[in-house]
Amino acid sequence: MSEEILKALMQLFAIIAKQDEGLSVNERDYVHVFLKQQLNESSVKEYLTLFDNFIGGQKGDDEEVKDKVKLTSVKDSVKTLGIAKKINKTLTQKQKVVVLVRLFELVNSDKKFTPQRMAIIDTAAEVFNISREEYQAIEAFVLNNSDADFAHPEMLVIGDLANEADKLENYINSPQLEGKIIILRVPSVELYFLRYTGTNEQLLNGLPIINSRIYLFATGSVIKQPKGKPIFYTDIASTFLSDSTSINVVVKANDVTLKFPNGHIGLRNINILEQSGKMVAIMGGSGAGKTTLLNVLSGIVSPSNGNVLINGVDIHKETELVKGIVGYIPQDDLLIEELTVYENLYYNTKLIYRDLNEQEISEKVTKVLQSLGLFHIKDLKVGNPLNKKISGGQRKRLNIGLELIREPAILFVDEPTSGLSSRDSENVMELLRELAVRGKLIFVVIHQPSSEIYKMFDNVVILDEGGYQIYYGNPVEAVIYFKTLDNQINSNIGECPTCGNVNPETIFSIIESRIVDEYGRPTASRKVMPQEWNDHYRQRHKSFEAAEDYDELPEAFKKPSWFKQFKIFFARDMFSKLSNTQYLVLNFLEAPILGFLLAFIIRYIEDPTSNIYIFRANENLMPYIFMCAIVALFLGLIVSAEEIYKDRKILKRESFLNLSRSSYLFSKIGILFIISAVQAILFVLVGNSIFGIKGMYFEYWMVFFTLSAFANVLGLNISSAFNSAVTIYILIPFLIIPQMVLTGAMFSFDKINSSFGGGRDKVPIIAEIMPSRWAFEGLIVHQYKNNKFYKQFYDQNKVLSICNYKNIYYLPELKRYVENYRFRFLAKQEPHITANDLELIRNELNKENNSEFFRLHKLKFQYEDYLYQDKITFAIADSLINHINKLMEFYRDNGNYMDNVIDGRRQEMTNTPEKDREYNKLKDDYYNDFLAKFAKNQMITLYVVRLDNRLVQKIDPIYLDPQDTNKVSFRTHFMAPRKNFFGYYVDTFTFNVSMIWAFTILMYILLYYQGLKRFLDFFGDFGPIINRKLFGLKTKISKFFIKMTGI
Amino acid sequence: MANRKIFTLFVILIALLFTACVNSNKNEASDHLDDTDMIASTKLTDENIGEMISSIPNPVEMSSLLQKSGVVYSQELLNPANNLSGYNTNFKKALNLGVYGTDLVYMNIYDRTVATLQYLRNVKDLAGDLRVGQFFDYETLNRLSESSKNIDSVLFITNSGFDKMSRYLIDQKRSNIAVLISYGTWIESMYIATNVQTIPPNKDIIYRRIAEQKVILENMTLLLNNYRKDPNFADLFNDLLDLIKAFDNVKIQHIYIPPTIQEINGSVVIIDNSRSEIFITQEMVDEIAKKVSEIRTKIIS
Repeated sequence: MSEEILKALMQLFAIIAKQDEGLSVNERDYVHVFLKQQLNESSVKEYLTLFDNFIGGQKGDDEEVKDKVKLTSVKDSVKTLGIAKKINKTLTQKQKVVVLVRLFELVNSDKKFTPQRMAIIDTAAEVFNISREEYQAIEAFVLNNSDADFAHPEMLVIGDLANEADKLENYINSPQLEGKIIILRVPSVELYFLRYTGTNEQLLNGLPIINSRIYLFATGSVIKQPKGKPIFYTDIASTFLSDSTSINVVVKANDVTLKFPNGHIGLRNINILEQSGKMVAIMGGSGAGKTTLLNVLSGIVSPSNGNVLINGVDIHKETELVKGIVGYIPQDDLLIEELTVYENLYYNTKLIYRDLNEQEISEKVTKVLQSLGLFHIKDLKVGNPLNKKISGGQRKRLNIGLELIREPAILFVDEPTSGLSSRDSENVMELLRELAVRGKLIFVVIHQPSSEIYKMFDNVVILDEGGYQIYYGNPVEAVIYFKTLDNQINSNIGECPTCGNVNPETIFSIIESRIVDEYGRPTASRKVMPQEWNDHYRQRHKSFEAAEDYDELPEAFKKPSWFKQFKIFFARDMFSKLSNTQYLVLNFLEAPILGFLLAFIIRYIEDPTSNIYIFRANENLMPYIFMCAIVALFLGLIVSAEEIYKDRKILKRESFLNLSRSSYLFSKIGILFIISAVQAILFVLVGNSIFGIKGMYFEYWMVFFTLSAFANVLGLNISSAFNSAVTIYILIPFLIIPQMVLTGAMFSFDKINSSFGGGRDKVPIIAEIMPSRWAFEGLIVHQYKNNKFYKQFYDQNKVLSICNYKNIYYLPELKRYVENYRFRFLAKQEPHITANDLELIRNELNKENNSEFFRLHKLKFQYEDYLYQDKITFAIADSLINHINKLMEFYRDNGNYMDNVIDGRRQEMTNTPEKDREYNKLKDDYYNDFLAKFAKNQMITLYVVRLDNRLVQKIDPIYLDPQDTNKVSFRTHFMAPRKNFFGYYVDTFTFNVSMIWAFTILMYILLYYQGLKRFLDFFGDFGPIINRKLFGLKTKISKFFIKMTGI
Repeated sequence: MANRKIFTLFVILIALLFTACVNSNKNEASDHLDDTDMIASTKLTDENIGEMISSIPNPVEMSSLLQKSGVVYSQELLNPANNLSGYNTNFKKALNLGVYGTDLVYMNIYDRTVATLQYLRNVKDLAGDLRVGQFFDYETLNRLSESSKNIDSVLFITNSGFDKMSRYLIDQKRSNIAVLISYGTWIESMYIATNVQTIPPNKDIIYRRIAEQKVILENMTLLLNNYRKDPNFADLFNDLLDLIKAFDNVKIQHIYIPPTIQEINGSVVIIDNSRSEIFITQEMVDEIAKKVSEIRTKIIS
């Protein structure tokens, strides 16, 4: 209490006391005792003098006083008002209630309930904003003595009440108690006051209770009677507060032991028995296994031995049964930074309650926010710990609120006070305390609690290094217990008799005290080993006798349907993104800016004398398409790479809710796809219009989006598998660079190392798994085949290309082998022809027989059976040459015909100057010379190559259909115009886009089953071995350097 | 449960999308070839055509004559390289392949090797479009063009390339293309020769060479006439008639003097003493130049 308040209180006391007959001895005694409680001896005198001065010298002359009664009263009323207002400014409501109680007590000390005195108290109460009901309750509590007056809903009577119980509202029967203990609850501030009507010595927190004095019954207090069971704060509070609906749960841990995979023992034979309404601390030095125990108790980690039963149900076996009643609040924040306090709770609530409508949810959230004292900040954004919007204590309370909203019967809280100021810590702990009082069972891992906090616990479990349980019981007793074992003086005193402080540090300094060497320096070895503490504990510890008839566990809450969950996840994520302006702006500006930069930089005019941009003459179309693919991958990955990682804590918590992983993933994917789709629109709109790619917006968008979508899901995979943001970003180049290299744009597939599955007739296998290559190929082929100008010629040019290839390159090459035979035959060189060459000839003839042109020329070589080394003759060779010549003629004539058809159309399209201009315009706008060269592969020197015993066409891949006769294989050469899909031809663009989607689905499946994470975890098991090896190496290296440098 | 359903639905959707896109009508490339209709047979045999084409002087002759006569090189005479994109039909392509070929030779003879690159590429592209790209070894020519020491090789490869191209085209029953290439070559040579900017002192040699083209012109007329069914050829033919008119007054008279037999270094040699008298005036040259320009402008436009 501050000096000022004490002064104000003295004044108030004085004003009341000097009313009517003036100060009585009893009243002065009361003030004296009151001051003695607050202050030391010298100060007591000082304030008592002050009090006497306020009373003034008016005591002497009774007559005078009597005359002035009325006047003084008015004057004093004004004075009272002033003081009360002053107090109003500095005291909390709780303190004001205490002041009011003191005032009543003062009056009660001499039972002089004159109207003047009461009027002053009345005034004070009014100024203090204390409600009428509470005022009356306090009055009744302080002033009355008869039992009937205690039949009040906010009062509780303790005593031998066998006969009168039915008259009372609240009571606790305690037959051994002499007299009665009456408790008053002031609900608005949740304060309890106590008075005792008997005369026996009762102890409140170890201090005797004086009859008819009024005590504040603070949280954690305990009343001890000479006989009978002690009465705890919780017993009383729970009588007032207990929710009639909540069920009683009993948690029983039987010999819980946990062995880690590496052989270390985390917990040894832990036994715990707790039930609803208790708050239990789990304490211990660092590494003693506090959090491990919490995890085992809450069901996250299964013990290797022993079990944890909740009302008889094994939490690790029948997980589903208990899931709904267990809540876990980890040390880390689970808040979504971008959402407001209200929204955080709101989406959480929606995910939990299926049956509530909007209003009910809103009411529920509001109620919880109010009870958490967070209602006034409900519209503030949560922010992150660095960019603080709300205080640490508020964050923690909100975290607790997330769990509270679903009303679990048991709460597991990991270090709720870490990182909080002592004020915030107390706030948070008071909240938990209140929850316990309301009937929840709360386990709290706590580290270095303050005295205030420590006393709030009903029980404490103390663990020591190696997972030994060394204490389990009342917290204050713990101090006594360890002090006694340590043979300390005053070992029977748990708390400081004057200040009521309990120092839990004492316990740990005893437990961990070290042996001192002869110089007084503490050594590394402990005085008492954990086992010994454990032995002490075991000697004292009695086995639990737990009741066997438990309440039925409530059904786990009904979670929303898959789709509803999806909607909620989606909305939550969306709002959190929408509220992050920086994120939105960056993401949606990135794409168009990149599109602009890319297209604008490579948009150039070929002809230095002209200033008209011609798309046809721009050599950069291919690099542009390539970059589109890379940008799509990049944007897609970046947008998604941190998504799940960011949510991992929230996910951990939500796993308690047993929500659907797929609905979560789908909501993520949904939002990412929307972002990617918009990015794709912006990029393609800007990029394509600047570059001058006309009429292809949809296709470019489709490919860009498809690739981004793939990258999104890929990103989610790494995001869910890796445990740091840095790792994730380091990984991005690994995912992008191979995609860049293997698009087919940077390096020709003919010119990469053949160990990557490269065949000269097909795209290398490693490139088949690169979505970037499917995207690039799809766009290249589509841009070439389907642009508005060229699509009118493509089909016919395809025929021309085939005829031309066969006539000019292929058949002459084939003929060369036969001619070579004839030459060697005449020159009598053995062998005339190799078996391989013959096989090649047979293969190729066969290919021709199966070609689509066969039905037109119907030219079949009659002597195919003779094309073996032992059967071939000169005449057969002649006949074969003749056959090939005929084929050549056929293709020559058909090629010429096709050429004329095409040329005829071109002539028709250009036969007037206007039409010619139009034609050229169309070509300038839609066709690209350099793309054509690339698609026709005109840069190569060998147009037909031999691969094993086959001839492979290298020129004009864009006109060449898949050559593989295997119907199932979809693999083919790069830039094939269409692809083989189970015997059907599918347009390359459609096929390639579908292919990327197939990859995306595959990635999703991998994501759903956490394939990557499993894979990493599998290798993670080798981690320690690798680490050891690495450590050895590191030591060697550092030794080497030390040697080298001579340090 | 529900999510499995959704997943199944998703898979079905994808599958539907997939099958919907499968192109079920198997349009084969060969469908375009159902009714084969060959180009009209020509009156001249391919053999005749080949002979007539090979009688047309190659551009090297004319260009080197100009260079030796001291005619100054003029870039403006050439067909601008960026005209290429305007040549859309085989007809235009073939003619301009000839034109660019001549330009290429002209530039090489005047040692303007650096500037040739674009023309080289044009020739290559046009030849490729006409499906005779295999006769034009771009890589080699490009490499050779880097140094002026290789001009002879460049000229040889270019020339023989054109020769092979013509023969191949005739062989491939595409003599019309061969004729157009030759015509383009010839017209461009004529254009360069008749449009010399400064008249050198020994202009007579050049004029004489121009006059001699009267014989070639007759061959050309025959060749073009052969394809007159094609309206494009008919146009060319009609334009050529104007040029013939301009040549009307040019006289080439053969004066026959009996050959003499001499013994040189012990072997008998017959010496042809005949010569041709050529009559051509400045006005005639100007008229020819005008007509050639007109024809050439039409070709390269």
